[in-house]
Amino acid sequence: MNLLLKSSFYTLSLTALIFTTSCTKTSSDKTLKFGVKKSETLIVNLQTEPPSLDWNKSTDTTSSEVQGNIMEGLVQFDLADPELKALPALATKWESDKAVQKWTFELRTDVKWTDGVEFDAQQVVDGWERLLNPKTAAEYSYFLYNVKNAKAYNEGKIKDFSQVGIKTVGKHKIEVQLESPMSFFPSLLVHHSTYPVRKDLIEKHGDKWTEAGNMVTLGAYKLMKWEHDEAILLERNDAYFGEKAKTKYVLGRMITEQSSAINAFDAGEIDVIPELPSNDVSVLKQRPEYQKQNGLIVYYYGFNTKQKPFDNLDFRKAVAMAIDKKEITKVLGQDDVTATSWVPKGMMGHEEEMGIKFDPAKAKEHMAKAGYADATKVPKITITFNTNENHKKVAENVQAQLKRNLGINIEILNEEWKVYLSKLKSKKGYSIFRMGWVADYPDPDNFLNLLTSTSANNHTGWKNEKYDSLIAKGVSELNSDKRKEYYKEAQKLVLEEDVAAVPLYYSIRQYLINSRVSGFKLNPLDEKDYKSVMVK
Amino acid sequence: MGDKFSAFSKNHILDIYKIVMGILLATGFVVSVIGVDGMLTTILWSTIGALLFAGMIFLVIKQHLLPYLIKRFMEAGVTLLVIVTLVFLLLRLMPGGPFDSERALPAEVMANIAAKYKLDAPLLEQYTHYLGNLLKGDLGESYKYLGRPVSSIISDTFPVSLQLGVYALILSYLIGIPLGVIAASKHNTWVDTGSMFLAMGGVTLPSFLVASLFILIFSFQFQILPPALWEGPLYYILPVVTLGIRPAAIIARLTRSSVLDVIRSDFVRTARAKGLAERVVLFKHVLRNSLIPVLTYSGPLIADIISGAFIIEIIFAVPGMGRHLILSVTNRDYPLVLGVALLFSVLLVVSNLLVDIFYAIVDPRIKLAA
Repeated sequence: MNLLLKSSFYTLSLTALIFTTSCTKTSSDKTLKFGVKKSETLIVNLQTEPPSLDWNKSTDTTSSEVQGNIMEGLVQFDLADPELKALPALATKWESDKAVQKWTFELRTDVKWTDGVEFDAQQVVDGWERLLNPKTAAEYSYFLYNVKNAKAYNEGKIKDFSQVGIKTVGKHKIEVQLESPMSFFPSLLVHHSTYPVRKDLIEKHGDKWTEAGNMVTLGAYKLMKWEHDEAILLERNDAYFGEKAKTKYVLGRMITEQSSAINAFDAGEIDVIPELPSNDVSVLKQRPEYQKQNGLIVYYYGFNTKQKPFDNLDFRKAVAMAIDKKEITKVLGQDDVTATSWVPKGMMGHEEEMGIKFDPAKAKEHMAKAGYADATKVPKITITFNTNENHKKVAENVQAQLKRNLGINIEILNEEWKVYLSKLKSKKGYSIFRMGWVADYPDPDNFLNLLTSTSANNHTGWKNEKYDSLIAKGVSELNSDKRKEYYKEAQKLVLEEDVAAVPLYYSIRQYLINSRVSGFKLNPLDEKDYKSVMVK
Repeated sequence: MGDKFSAFSKNHILDIYKIVMGILLATGFVVSVIGVDGMLTTILWSTIGALLFAGMIFLVIKQHLLPYLIKRFMEAGVTLLVIVTLVFLLLRLMPGGPFDSERALPAEVMANIAAKYKLDAPLLEQYTHYLGNLLKGDLGESYKYLGRPVSSIISDTFPVSLQLGVYALILSYLIGIPLGVIAASKHNTWVDTGSMFLAMGGVTLPSFLVASLFILIFSFQFQILPPALWEGPLYYILPVVTLGIRPAAIIARLTRSSVLDVIRSDFVRTARAKGLAERVVLFKHVLRNSLIPVLTYSGPLIADIISGAFIIEIIFAVPGMGRHLILSVTNRDYPLVLGVALLFSVLLVVSNLLVDIFYAIVDPRIKLAA
């Protein structure tokens, strides 16, 4: 026993000594994890471990943030352009035939992967083959479904990939044949799922091809270290074909809890926090490090048009008219933008004067017209949302507004995320449900497609052939003015005439960025491009 | 000659083993605390592991515990099978699937995913497939962290949780036992009341509150300790202390009441009557016997401290298993949930078994029958 006590005492004393000495050492040392110098490193909070750096397979924003900095697509967006025009990246130029069904892309000839291998057209084809191969089981394989026979290949109905409408024409050119016209097809090729791949390395390393040491890329940065669940280190790729990155290293931390991330930020352990805790925003936005940016994100309430009382158009109109959207954004206190049209601000197709206006008196008239002059006769209505502080605030506010403006008693119910999704997709559904949509690519089709009768994301039960045809016309139209007209008409139909859903607000993105960081360009797509960032 | 050797063996082998383990444990602890990576740490901890195992085997044979152990292992096997089966079934009964997302996927895409992960097979087939792989030591691949084996996620994060847990455990013994002994030896004085008041605070204060207070005081008021991350000794202090406070308080209370019980027993009175110094009575006679309830508590405590560290891990951004414990369930990441559940079950079963064995060693009156 004495021996144990003694050894415990010595261990404790030694530990105390080590703690004391290391205190002095760390406070004066500017060397970060992996031995990099803070003055050469941008430290970002990735928030979580990237679920996968395999760009064919990943679906989350953390992974795509890293992928977007170590890889390139054929096309990139002009983040300075209000309509986020597509610009050349790995492709130097592209053109379509008159029918907008056949696209040709010319590729750069001066690009090398980080292992020195030359980039060529076959690697693009390999990437698409892998994305569409049923064995890959890629969630984003449907992105390319409009390519001829791509869907059939993904379903396993066609085994021979040469029947799919993509082929190389020489070493640095590809030709894509589509099933139907698509005016914004090049915009899809910004997406990480369509990046080229090195088949030889995937065959060699299997699933471990994305590990540091195995991974070969052609972006502005290269993957140097990846300690899973802890940190990731990127280093500038000096052989990058474009403008070289200004900061040598990027260190990605993985702090899940937002308040812990803010503590780390205040202690100088992180330079950039991309998401702020909603309850603290009112305080945080007073700080000089606070920055915000409009996002291409719509937050909406959908009505179950197959269920009483929302099967009645007048009732839907009454509810939509009784909601003052400005009150909601005020309650949230985050400077979100009150929504008008379905397409968010900052994107082609957005309309400032769209949607049903707040008018409680007229709302009551519609209630009476729907047969509910007596509000107590309204069948039970529940607003359902997935567990989240902001969703709760919105639901409580809408509940209060409908009670105040229409006299209806509405219940609110929160569900765990996966339970919520499974019930939402079930036949019964919810009477009023919350949902949001974040742009994958900056084209209005990405948003408007949601409410077509064939969309798996349309949970309202509302179907309208005219709407479907307007969206289809928009897809194949090259003239942007004409497209805008189609989309205006379509949005009028769903939001004002049939009222299947009510867009409530467009979310903004909020950051804390340390003053030692400059050149961090915020953009509506929330592309986190580290290339232009400098640190002091 | 033979008799002498035999006497030497009986009296000293255990002592030599204790000394070697003491030195190795202290060195291993120091080496891992100062963050020496690579070969030295691996060699040290492997040696400690091997010697601990050898010591256990030696003690097991010495105490004739083999039949008991075999029985306990068989019981443990059945327990683990029941746990795996229950978790497997509960997961499948939960609404929502692993690949349900805000963006509904086309049926063809979902079919490819289901085929890849064999989720389209009948439930019984999925279960037997999982068990078959488990017997081969394959815990499957995570559905969330694509292409990453569950075993790799566990081996990346569990050592961190273990490290945090072990430090907190050591700290809780180092604080709890002396505090309990002091309180008991100064029974009904202000020292006793003060110690137990502190212990009461340690038990009742929620860890997130303690963590927030520590961060506020040590990270932002005095700016001497980092508020988050796990990158060296300095970073360990706040999470370890926060995690260690509650068990330290429990151990202090347990030790105090146990010491008070033992101190009144006949053999202690005899020891005092023999004229032994109070210090000797307290450390040699009272403490050894008082530690049995503390030791009993150690089994659940080890499992509790490691599995219960998730809040601390999240608050202090410690890259342990904490986040996987919660997120794997919300993500419906079936293989990861099963892997984590299995790990904690093994931990609980093994720690209880070890405690039972040590229990018999410390108190020879206790017999472990097969």
